[in-house]
Amino acid sequence: MAAWVTEHVIPHEAAVRAWLARTRASQEDIDELIQESYSRLAALESVDHIDRPDAYFFSIARNLLVRRLRRARVVPIEAIAEIDAFQDDMRPSPEREAGSRIDYRRLLALIDALPERRRRIVRMRKLEGWSQREIAAALGISESIVENEIYHGVRAVQRAWRDGEALSAARLAAFEGGERPR
Amino acid sequence: MTGRRASDIDADAARYVARMDGDDWSDAQERELERWLARDPRHAGALLRAQAAWMTLDRPFPAQSAVREDTGVRAGWSRRRVLAGGGAAVAAAVGGGVLLFGGTSYATAVGEIRRVPLADGSIAAINTASAIDVSLDDAARNVRIERGEAWFQVARDKRRPFVVAAGRARIRAVGTAFSVRRRAGGADVLVTEGVVEVWADGAEGHRVRLKAGSRGFVADDAAIEQAPAAPSAIDRALAWRNGKVDLAGDRLDSAVAEFNRYNRRQLVVADPAVAAERFDGVFRTDDPEGFAQAVEVSLGVPVDLSDPAQIRIGRPGL
Repeated sequence: MAAWVTEHVIPHEAAVRAWLARTRASQEDIDELIQESYSRLAALESVDHIDRPDAYFFSIARNLLVRRLRRARVVPIEAIAEIDAFQDDMRPSPEREAGSRIDYRRLLALIDALPERRRRIVRMRKLEGWSQREIAAALGISESIVENEIYHGVRAVQRAWRDGEALSAARLAAFEGGERPR
Repeated sequence: MTGRRASDIDADAARYVARMDGDDWSDAQERELERWLARDPRHAGALLRAQAAWMTLDRPFPAQSAVREDTGVRAGWSRRRVLAGGGAAVAAAVGGGVLLFGGTSYATAVGEIRRVPLADGSIAAINTASAIDVSLDDAARNVRIERGEAWFQVARDKRRPFVVAAGRARIRAVGTAFSVRRRAGGADVLVTEGVVEVWADGAEGHRVRLKAGSRGFVADDAAIEQAPAAPSAIDRALAWRNGKVDLAGDRLDSAVAEFNRYNRRQLVVADPAVAAERFDGVFRTDDPEGFAQAVEVSLGVPVDLSDPAQIRIGRPGL
């Protein structure tokens, strides 16, 4: 399941976040909606029936948002417009494909931007295939220090996928500006 | 939402992922993780996301878009299923029979989709539970839809008009592509390429031209309605040609009616309150179970799969 999410869902998370942002959902709301959407995925017994994981994930987030808006007293007009227009975002498009592809290089750059020891440990663990114990022995440090550095590495990747938002949102806006004036 | 912030939960999830990434993972740690997961339903989602995010560093990203079907269906692991499932039904149907002279009848069973090359170079894709008669001669190309739906890619031939009859509805094309679905009370026409002319038999004076990207309905009383449709809407309405049901904001009850065209195991919306819920996604026509499960998860509606003859969505009276 995690591998499937890695391949098919995470690359589209930024686009879903960008869409949620256009509905005037707050950053905190977006974080929660995304987390809830992943929880729905985690509850699935099987993903075999899902042919378009990106559309499926988008759909979960949208339905959660709609449910939340129903409870809200004041619904921003942007939210209604976006919810109605959202199906256009779900059509496969070259822009969306490209948006989900560039990220491995960006992730490598992200590893390079980590502090020295952390970068070295994350590289050894993920790119060179050392275990945490082997890394600890090779560097002469405790395993708990290695684990802690790995923890900060995981945090950095979590943030990277979340903040992919800024870049994708800019690209999306540029694309829509030409194609679909609002 | 109550309790802890999403970002705090993400931090906890990262802690577990780092620990699981290590060499020793004890039973006690497993139990602690289980307790943490049980404490809040959001935890499972945060853990899944953290694991998946961490795994993105494992290897260059699979070229998701390197293999694409011409339908736009994303490949990857799903490619296997597309080929094994809906794709196979379509592929197996190719080569159904080439027509020469006189009338030939084609019929499809529930769930079957046939793609039939016609002798004039045109192609017919025949949807589930449908029957058509085709008759080609030197002066005319006539197709009659007895029941159901078919899409035609018409080979250009000015000398021989291509006319489809569905009930009273008549659709004439020269070189173009369109679908006709016979319904109670009339016929639906969707134009994917070029222009067609539609009219009702006995009311030849009133003809309407439909361009690519528009849809029309020819009623049995000879009234003709037409409406422009977004290209994506036409593509979605014709997703059956690839063994798919493509939903984008469709009502649950109409999505269910669509699946029920293709399957003996019928979907039943038991709770009228959820019938108007909107739904999105691309599903195989032969997988109502998968659709029902998606509804269960994304709308939070209970689904009962215990009866082999039907699938009940929602509990009445709740």
